[in-house]
This record gives sequence, structure tokens and C-alpha cells, in this order.
Amino acid sequence: MSLAKPAMRGLLGKRLRFHLPIAFALSVVAAAAFKYGVTEPRKQAYADFYKQYDATKEFNNMREAGIFESVRPTGK
Amino acid sequence: MFRAVRLSTSGIRSLTQTRPCYSAPLASRCYSHAKVETDEEFDARWVTYFSKPDIDAWELKKGMNTLIGYDLVPEPKILDSALRACRRLNDLASAIRILEAVKDKSGPHKDIYPYLIQELQPTLIELGISTPEDLGMDIL
Repeated sequence: MSLAKPAMRGLLGKRLRFHLPIAFALSVVAAAAFKYGVTEPRKQAYADFYKQYDATKEFNNMREAGIFESVRPTGK
Repeated sequence: MFRAVRLSTSGIRSLTQTRPCYSAPLASRCYSHAKVETDEEFDARWVTYFSKPDIDAWELKKGMNTLIGYDLVPEPKILDSALRACRRLNDLASAIRILEAVKDKSGPHKDIYPYLIQELQPTLIELGISTPEDLGMDIL
């Protein structure tokens, strides 16, 4: 039994036409997933933290803990 | 920003999908006024190239390298012409290498190489060319 003639031209072109749009789409999805799964929550966490941040109060806590050299805790 | 992304994806899609101007795998641009070579003309050109009676070793190698660079597996008639050129040059090594090359060009399409060997069988017998499989050279 003799073999039929298979397709012999444009095989790579066909493969690329199929896979490149998918690859491009998946890359965009991966970037979007990272942006909305990682960077945006991270930015939101920082924003939430600093929304209610009282720098003076934290400074005084650190001062009382004695970590500074330039300013001693109150009460000598 | 998203409009630019959408435009570029549609640009890429139109590049890859709307290509009525090419059937030949040569470096063709999408100039609508350029004459596109048909597959038959392409094959005939290459058969003629390898049929040159006084082809030299360089031209054989150059021709094969150029041919392998295209997005196609050469037709049996082109390979027949190339194998006969190898015979004229007393180059059995290149003849067997050509068979290895077309098997590699087929990539994942495993039905191409058996078809080519089937079509080339008369030529292989006439010229006394062993296939890599005959020589046990197809296993790594």
C-alpha cells in the first residue's frame, strides 16, 4: 500500500499562526495576573498601612525603646 | 495604554492571518504588485539548479543549505535532482546527509519522511544510495 502525499509546505508558518497568538495572549494574561494578584495588593497594603500612620507616635515609641543615639528616652 | 495593546495584538493577528500573497515560502513581502512564484515554478527552478551537468561541490552544498532554510520539505523531484548531482560529484556522504536533512526538516510530522523514501526508492536503488536507517545511523 503506497503512502499518500502529506502536506510538505508552510508547516512552520502554520504552527506559528496557531501558536503565536496563543503565546501572546497567555503572556498578557500572565502579566495581568501578576499585576492584579501581586503588585496591586502590595500597593494597597502599603497604602492602607500609611493611611493611619502616625509618624510622631511611632517616633516616640522608638525613642522610648532606646534605639536612637541622637535622642535619649524621656526620663533620662 | 490598553488601546495600544489591543491595536498591536490586532496588528499581529492581521500580519499572521491575512497573507493571501504567499504560498511560496521565500522571503516575500506583502507588496500586492509583486509577482508571487507558484509552487510548481519554485520546484522547477530547484530541479533545474541541481540538474546542472557540471554542478560543483560548492553549488551543491549552497543549494542544499538554501533549500533547507525554507519553510518547506523539498519535493521528491527536487531531492531526486539533488541526489543525482551527488552522484555526478561522487559524493555519497552528501547524498545520505540530504536524506537525514529532510527527515529533520519534517519535524514532528512523521508521515513525510516515509513518503519521501517511498517516492525516492527507484532513485535510491538506481544510484545505490543507502538510507540512514539501512546504515543504522538513525539511532542516536
